[in-house]
Amino acid sequence: MEYNVFHSLSNKFILLTGASSGIGRETSILLSKLGAKLLLIDINEIGLLKTIEYCPNETIPLVLDLTDSETLKIKIIDLVKKHGKLDGVAHIAGKPSIVPLKSISQSSATEIFQLNTYSAIDLAKIFVNHNVFSGQSGSIVFISSVYGLVGSSANVAYASSKAALHGITKSLSIELAPKKIRVNCIAPGFIKTEMMANNKDKFNDEYISKLDKMHPLGLGEAIDISYMIAFLLSDLSKWMTGSILSLDGGFTAQ
Amino acid sequence: MKTKLMEELSEILETSVLSENDKLADFECWDSLTALSIIALASENYSVIISNSDLSKINTVKDLVETITNSK
Repeated sequence: MEYNVFHSLSNKFILLTGASSGIGRETSILLSKLGAKLLLIDINEIGLLKTIEYCPNETIPLVLDLTDSETLKIKIIDLVKKHGKLDGVAHIAGKPSIVPLKSISQSSATEIFQLNTYSAIDLAKIFVNHNVFSGQSGSIVFISSVYGLVGSSANVAYASSKAALHGITKSLSIELAPKKIRVNCIAPGFIKTEMMANNKDKFNDEYISKLDKMHPLGLGEAIDISYMIAFLLSDLSKWMTGSILSLDGGFTAQ
Repeated sequence: MKTKLMEELSEILETSVLSENDKLADFECWDSLTALSIIALASENYSVIISNSDLSKINTVKDLVETITNSK
């Protein structure tokens, strides 16, 4: 029999956000191949259905705006009643924002926080509900950014929304340890994803080249993050909680 | 809309007197971050996408205002 170090994922039911593209899609496919049953959430229905085409195992799609917290709770509880309780959550959905101080406003910053930060709290709150969590070896994984750890220009809203995830991770790891729920966070460097491609108007070639040089191992790929998410959702990381993991090709080692 | 846009550009370009004939590159504060501020302003407040290369072809405040207002 082939030894699979991620064997513990085969019996788990995992909720993923941001599943329609990039890291979310790559992680959905990986977890599905590893045998997990998935509840995939995204606002982009077309992208979500495309992701499901690549998932070999049972997947349940939920097209939803994560910032609508009331609907999020109702829909998840409803789906859990039909499909079983959850073992883990990976909150991958996020919104980039490259806006210098001169153009930042409270309303635009709040919009970034609503998706990147507040929805993480909502998801954790829903997950710990006894009607939702399976009660055994739970795991919550958040995705922040190197810019939650180090500074860069034109990033005040995005960086603070991601740095807040680090505080949430630390706090929840203590609060949820008695329930046997682990909470960890990955701080990725720059990944070649559609999100980055969609921001080409703000990046010129010189900037992309500079970004590449800032990563000693070069820019990352979505699958690099997916492997770590799979590890954190699996029982291989059963003694790990409250960790902020730099996964950045050496970006923050300098 | 034009008045509001001119006010917003005055703030970004750090001047109290902004003329349509002013050249963007002549402002003391003109740098890549100021350019990025204008791109963000156009995108967030007016839903107009201006790329870095588009902006580099815009010389005057008048051209910039026309680009944003005509793209609405």
